[in-house]
Amino acid sequence: MHGSPPLRHLLPLGLLIAAGFVLPQFLPEYFLYIANTLMVYLILAIGLDILLGWSGQFAFAHIAFYGIGIYGTALLNMRLGVPFVLGMPLAAAAAAAIGFLIAIPATRLRAVYLALATFAFAECAQWVYRTWDSVTKGPDGLRISAPDIFGYVVGTDKRALPVIAIILALVLAATLYLGRSKLGRSLCAIRDSEHVAAASGIDVKRTKVIAFTISAFYAGVAGGTYTLFQSFIHPDGLGVWTLVLVLSMIVVGGSGTLPGVVLGVVLLGLLPEALRAAPRGLLVWQEFAYGLILTLAIMFMPRGIWGLFNRRTRARRKPALSVEAPAPARALQHQSP
Amino acid sequence: MSTIFSIRDVTVRFGGLLALNRFSMDVAQGAIHALIGPNGAGKSTVFNCVSRFCTPVSGDIVFDGKSLIALPPHGVVALGIARTFQNIEQLYRMTVLENVLVGLTSRAPLYFPFGPGAARARAERQAVADAEEVLAQTGLLPYRDMLAGNLDFGHQKLLDLSRALAAKPRLLLLDEPAAGLRNREISHVDAILVDLARRRGITIVLVEHVMQLVMSVADTVTVLSFGEKIAEGVPAAIRSDANVIEAYLGREATHA
Amino acid sequence: MTLVLQGVASGIVTGCVYALVALSLVIVYKSTDVVNFAGGELVMLGGYFGLFFLIYADLAYPIMFVLVPVAIFVAGALFDRITLAKVSGRTFVKHVDLVPLVVATIGLSYLLKGGVRVVPYTEEVRRLPPIFTGPPLFFDDIVLQVQDIAIIGVTTLIMVALWVFFRFTLLGKALRATSQNARAAALVGIPVKTMRMAVWGLSASIAGIAGVMLAPKLLMTPDMGSVVMLAFAAAIIGGFSSLPGCVVGGIMLGIVQNLVGIFLSPQAIAVTPFFVIMLVLLLRPQGLFGETIALKKV
Repeated sequence: MHGSPPLRHLLPLGLLIAAGFVLPQFLPEYFLYIANTLMVYLILAIGLDILLGWSGQFAFAHIAFYGIGIYGTALLNMRLGVPFVLGMPLAAAAAAAIGFLIAIPATRLRAVYLALATFAFAECAQWVYRTWDSVTKGPDGLRISAPDIFGYVVGTDKRALPVIAIILALVLAATLYLGRSKLGRSLCAIRDSEHVAAASGIDVKRTKVIAFTISAFYAGVAGGTYTLFQSFIHPDGLGVWTLVLVLSMIVVGGSGTLPGVVLGVVLLGLLPEALRAAPRGLLVWQEFAYGLILTLAIMFMPRGIWGLFNRRTRARRKPALSVEAPAPARALQHQSP
Repeated sequence: MSTIFSIRDVTVRFGGLLALNRFSMDVAQGAIHALIGPNGAGKSTVFNCVSRFCTPVSGDIVFDGKSLIALPPHGVVALGIARTFQNIEQLYRMTVLENVLVGLTSRAPLYFPFGPGAARARAERQAVADAEEVLAQTGLLPYRDMLAGNLDFGHQKLLDLSRALAAKPRLLLLDEPAAGLRNREISHVDAILVDLARRRGITIVLVEHVMQLVMSVADTVTVLSFGEKIAEGVPAAIRSDANVIEAYLGREATHA
Repeated sequence: MTLVLQGVASGIVTGCVYALVALSLVIVYKSTDVVNFAGGELVMLGGYFGLFFLIYADLAYPIMFVLVPVAIFVAGALFDRITLAKVSGRTFVKHVDLVPLVVATIGLSYLLKGGVRVVPYTEEVRRLPPIFTGPPLFFDDIVLQVQDIAIIGVTTLIMVALWVFFRFTLLGKALRATSQNARAAALVGIPVKTMRMAVWGLSASIAGIAGVMLAPKLLMTPDMGSVVMLAFAAAIIGGFSSLPGCVVGGIMLGIVQNLVGIFLSPQAIAVTPFFVIMLVLLLRPQGLFGETIALKKV
């Protein structure tokens, strides 16, 4: 959690971008759609993990910011002609700004109340998306016209994939750098012990607000990215179920760790497709399946699947080195006084 | 030696409970000053006031001429005051090195966290070097990459101390540094404290129950009972003070 | 004017249902610090169990009314014993994390909702017959169903019973002791694990009764559990640690909802509980009767 991400962590991002250009050439459209969906979920999940897993803020407003990203980017494009390269960052910034605003009162609250207050906010947001039909077309859903990036029209999964891959690579790189930075350490410190954090000079309240803002920005980016390959958005997709889905991805994969979140997104993102493809069409079992997986995961693998293998989280026996303190005579080796 | 740290007439109430009653204490620069008293006397409350985790209803706390009573909790370390915790609140998910890196947050410069940069590289390099230096001094360098949560108790206490030292404090508040340690480990702490105060001029205030450490290391001892100061002086005088003995009567308090 | 009075009257009735569910949430929160996000699904389960016992198994209403709380009690106790005990058994160093426990209740909620949804029996939307059928009652121009009176009666009864239970019975005191200091309770011989199971069972059965009372007023679907947000709002208004607060909060919420529907728009009814939650937590987090511990230090 210090220094900079080593090259071996950054190299796969280059592969990701390369894959983004190569895969659409020979994979069927359906797989490309899945890939795009998973990548958007990944951005969303990482954003939630920064708030939940890294900083330990039990807050559920994430979905609202996702919605701001989607509607913001789409409407800026369709109503005001703002191109995607400008519209997406703007929408994400708007999401971040609102995240910042609600964080200020929200972070005063203790865990449970924080969860309820932010959940209520998310529900309010969904209600706004549903009833503000002059803007969002409410229950009919909004048809999104294909954005274009400097002339490159991104309407289909095939054409969107490389762009999404690039966006994801940037997000992953930023996350890797954040995790090894002073801010990243501060974010994690406030989860483990607010007292130690404060005694070390970390402004706990401000750090929490920063965590919210970053998390909301990620959600906004995920929303903007959504408009690249989806042609339709309905408020029903911006509610509790999506939130619980993303939460499950984090919990099952391994919250607080990037590989864990990736694992969780892939596994739980593919689950509905697996259910859909099953002989008797088991999609109706979706809720039950997720409920069961979430419950079992939190019972038996609270650190997620990745936590089972991760060197860092495996509880070990006492260290092999001696438990004796060093001899008093050499108690303190110091350099210059 | 001049007084560098001064608690003046501090009164703390928790609901109806009077935790500290017009408590005053002056600490000389470079001294090792022990604060003792039976359980519930209010010792941790004193520390929590200084760390600004609780607020007195009256009184003031002054360090190096600056009052800290109105500071937020994260502002105290900037004045040069660091503390350890009685119940070892650890950053248990982070490694030993990372714990100390957090300890030097107040001294480390800011930089753009989401990408590479010269400022970042410089700052991180310096931070790691500083952290390793502190770990070397407390003997924890071999455990550098071990998870804090996996350390045994004695080493966790050393880590807590290392984290506090990383902030390069001029005043160190130690909350029961010897609690739960074995004799050999207590001697180690003893030596560290003496070194910090005598060689490096750090002023130390420690709350402690382990009399072995208090008697051997403290210059001045202040005794608290039920939120009030009942005695103050050199260790030998305190040991035979009638009020102190009465406050501790019936307790197996002494180790040595 | 009659419209307003009618709104108030119906609001009191629905408010009682919210209050019951809120009681269920607060009981478990006070005892274990866990927020039960599955509260709504336990209500839904109560409704469906009632349907099952009454229609499918063709039992008499009074029998169903007794069986349902018992069945849901068992469900709640089992959930604690199997799932929650396992989850809270995992502590990293000394750190007790409430988050996994709450996540477990989220898991339970989807397990129950999804589980009920796949049972073929629930494919059609159904209705649970009310306890007392009969002509509606008229007070001046205000109409109330007999069922509504029953709801108010049952709620009052349960609240009084709970108050007596926690105050005066040995078991109730033991439960309070467990919630205040589990270690101390264990030291004086109170079986903490069993106590927690009992609390979950009790909380669940109250939710189940609420389900049986609520179901006749709605069309039953597996999504009935969304009433939980109203219960949360009621509990928050009352101050999450106060039992009478739940009832006051519930009734206030029920009335406010109806008034919002009359004076603003029917559309706004859906968002009222969420708005209320945010407002209360912003302005007065401890609610009406709660202790001021909603805010953090540091």
